[in-house]
Amino acid sequence: MASEQQLSAIKGAKVLMVGAGGIGCELLKTLALSGFQDIHIIDMDTIEVSNLNRQFLFRKSHVGQSKAKVARDAVLRFRPHISITPYHANVKDSDFNVDFFKQFNVVLNGLDNLDARRHVNRLCLAGGVPLIESGTTGFLGQVTVHIKGKTECYECQPKPAPKSYPVCTITSTPSKFVHCIVWAKDLLFAKLFGDKNQDNDLNVRSSDATSSSEHAEDVFERKKDEDIEQYGRRIYDHVFGYNIEVALSNEETWKNRARPKPLYIRDVLPIELIQQNGNADKSFVADDSSSVSAMASLGLKNPQDIWSLRENSRVFFEALRLFFVKREKEIGNLSFDKDDQLAVEFVTAAANIRAASFGIPLHSLFEAKGIAGNIVHAVATTNAIIAGLIVIEAIKVLQNDANNYRMTYCLEHPSRKMLLMPVEPFEPNKSCYVCSETPLLLEVNTSRSKLRDFIEKIVKAKLGMSFPLVMHGPDLLYEVGDDLEEDMVANYEANLEKVLSELPSPVSGGTILTVEDLQQDLSCNINIKHREDFDEEKEPDGMVLSGWTKEKDKTTSTENGASTSNASEAVSLETNASEAVSLETKEDSDIEIVPTGIESVDTGKKRKLPEMSDATIPDSSKNELHEIDDDDDGDDLFMLDDGNSDGSKKKRLQ
Amino acid sequence: MSGGIARGRLAEERKAWRKNHPHGFVARPETLPDGSVNLMVWHCTIPGKAGVSSLVLLLGHVTFVILSQTDWEGGNYPITINFTEDYPSKPPKCKFPQGFFHPNVYPSGTVCLSILNEDSGWRPAITVKQILVGIQDLLNQPNPADPAQTDGYHLFIQDTEEYNRRVRQQAKQYPPLV
Repeated sequence: MASEQQLSAIKGAKVLMVGAGGIGCELLKTLALSGFQDIHIIDMDTIEVSNLNRQFLFRKSHVGQSKAKVARDAVLRFRPHISITPYHANVKDSDFNVDFFKQFNVVLNGLDNLDARRHVNRLCLAGGVPLIESGTTGFLGQVTVHIKGKTECYECQPKPAPKSYPVCTITSTPSKFVHCIVWAKDLLFAKLFGDKNQDNDLNVRSSDATSSSEHAEDVFERKKDEDIEQYGRRIYDHVFGYNIEVALSNEETWKNRARPKPLYIRDVLPIELIQQNGNADKSFVADDSSSVSAMASLGLKNPQDIWSLRENSRVFFEALRLFFVKREKEIGNLSFDKDDQLAVEFVTAAANIRAASFGIPLHSLFEAKGIAGNIVHAVATTNAIIAGLIVIEAIKVLQNDANNYRMTYCLEHPSRKMLLMPVEPFEPNKSCYVCSETPLLLEVNTSRSKLRDFIEKIVKAKLGMSFPLVMHGPDLLYEVGDDLEEDMVANYEANLEKVLSELPSPVSGGTILTVEDLQQDLSCNINIKHREDFDEEKEPDGMVLSGWTKEKDKTTSTENGASTSNASEAVSLETNASEAVSLETKEDSDIEIVPTGIESVDTGKKRKLPEMSDATIPDSSKNELHEIDDDDDGDDLFMLDDGNSDGSKKKRLQ
Repeated sequence: MSGGIARGRLAEERKAWRKNHPHGFVARPETLPDGSVNLMVWHCTIPGKAGVSSLVLLLGHVTFVILSQTDWEGGNYPITINFTEDYPSKPPKCKFPQGFFHPNVYPSGTVCLSILNEDSGWRPAITVKQILVGIQDLLNQPNPADPAQTDGYHLFIQDTEEYNRRVRQQAKQYPPLV
């Protein structure tokens, strides 16, 4: 299968896999079977039962053990002579620094969250290590190749944030089941079991402005010695009865909407029935708080059943009771977790009761859990396809076959009879704050040089700025201008006299400062490197800036339009690799449609593929790909509908 | 590390505001006692609209001047804008002081306004200036279809006189800064 050349590239390669989950298991297997011999794996997770349907290297007996270690052992059983090094650790640990990354020929990501992806992206950029990034959401998936200076980095394009709902819809006018879930989870659950000091708009009710918040809180506080049943009834009547009545009194709201129906416990569940609750099945008493379940103690077995209003109400009471009886210590600092059975039961019941009140169809616990946990059901086949594509790209990267790198999308519905959509990689976004060329390097003694020295000698003299803003992360360290208020001027004046390491947000070796100018359209990042001593004759400034190239060719500088203005002199000239390499589009590329479920497209303008601008780029996150002429042959994938192509942050079903 | 997009945009917003902003408004990043200035939280002031917005009608030789009184005049209402790492794909959260009297302000102070709503009016291109001017408009023109507090809403609907009295009383509570 593989050529000699490929085999030798594979054999000599040292690769790092980040993530040993859905994609990771497939990937490790494929790497091993493709001949890779030195594989390192990082994963901080332990194996859970819900992983077992697709993370096929794991068995039930492994539940609770490190994914990285078990995956290693499983693969060594059929490839005993290769080296697999597992790390049961968080990739963000400081142990995994740039030097650690530098030892690898390529890094392969199979992660499930944005934060870790960003982190790995930055370390790979810093170490100059090629990164192959991947992700799947149901039937959708993608593999992308990120090589510093040649292709765009993971952060060149902004990623879509997960959906949130407006507070008005949630608190007053839900129209979909998901609104009820959000209400139950983020408002009611948080109010009853979460941090009491958190902001919470559960009660849209204020009798008089000053005392309203205290008053509202009383309602949800369990009174001293208050019977738990009594408390439950009070909460129930308040949130499903009284609050709805209050909402109904705002006639204006309901002019064009269906009016909700207030629900009171006396109507839904006669008193005897609640008491039955408490008595039900006392024999089922689990000591392990994680296995406490209202469903179990009520004898409800199937999580896919849709409970009646009455059943939901019983679950509501039972879950509330169990929280107070079995898990009292946690109350006050709980936050919703989709793997917390009791929390899911409570949220399901509360959401369903609210749904009943608003005439919204009820849902099963299984469905509610999926919605509450933002779960898109993972598809093992997608993971396998994606893992295969990662290895294909990895082999190209190892051979330095830059012309043939592809980012590949795995689609839900075939387009032109193709399920896999290869696209040539994009050039780096020149204004990407993460990878844009040459962050400058400033060597400076951070405990001796003052901010004033930095502003005068570097920002003004070298970078040619006149009204600079200096930022450290989201903190402003310096601004100047006639428009500033007096107290701000005084604040910044005080900063000027401080040495860098004693600023309000201290600058030290490794800090990245961002310097912008109020008038010029110029922004640059400066990496700070601490250095103790400077040669007074050769380095009279007491600091040395390098990497700054005075822009010679004005026509190329659009983003940094003003950069030529008055930068006094070029400091160390270092041509940027990214300028030299240009991945021009091949005209024969026949791609017309870019699936957008995964990558955001709203800033496609910087991308260099000319035909992309004409391409159908849907602006929503829904994947609108459809071809009428294909697929009469009954492709299974065509029939299945996952219905949700949104969001890179969706978690896989755990 | 993260949040570079938000930070970059906020730096742009900051520069744009410094270069030009509507009269009477204040918007500035939060300054903490230790001297740090945080771009993710802005403290702002919205002036109540002045009551001189007038309509001049010329009918024949007679001139009618209709003054539309605004009871919000004279108040300088403090509002805090909290940006998240997801800004500008997501709107910031705007909060008046707790218990602020207005039909579309939640008891917590959070403003309920379409342009601040990810699902309806928010677009990433909306600037801080547009947000603040939008809220100033909202002060004078509450939206009865989306009440956020019963107090303000009921008076607004049922008892205009008392409503206006409360508004004027609140205006006095927030006098001009200088």
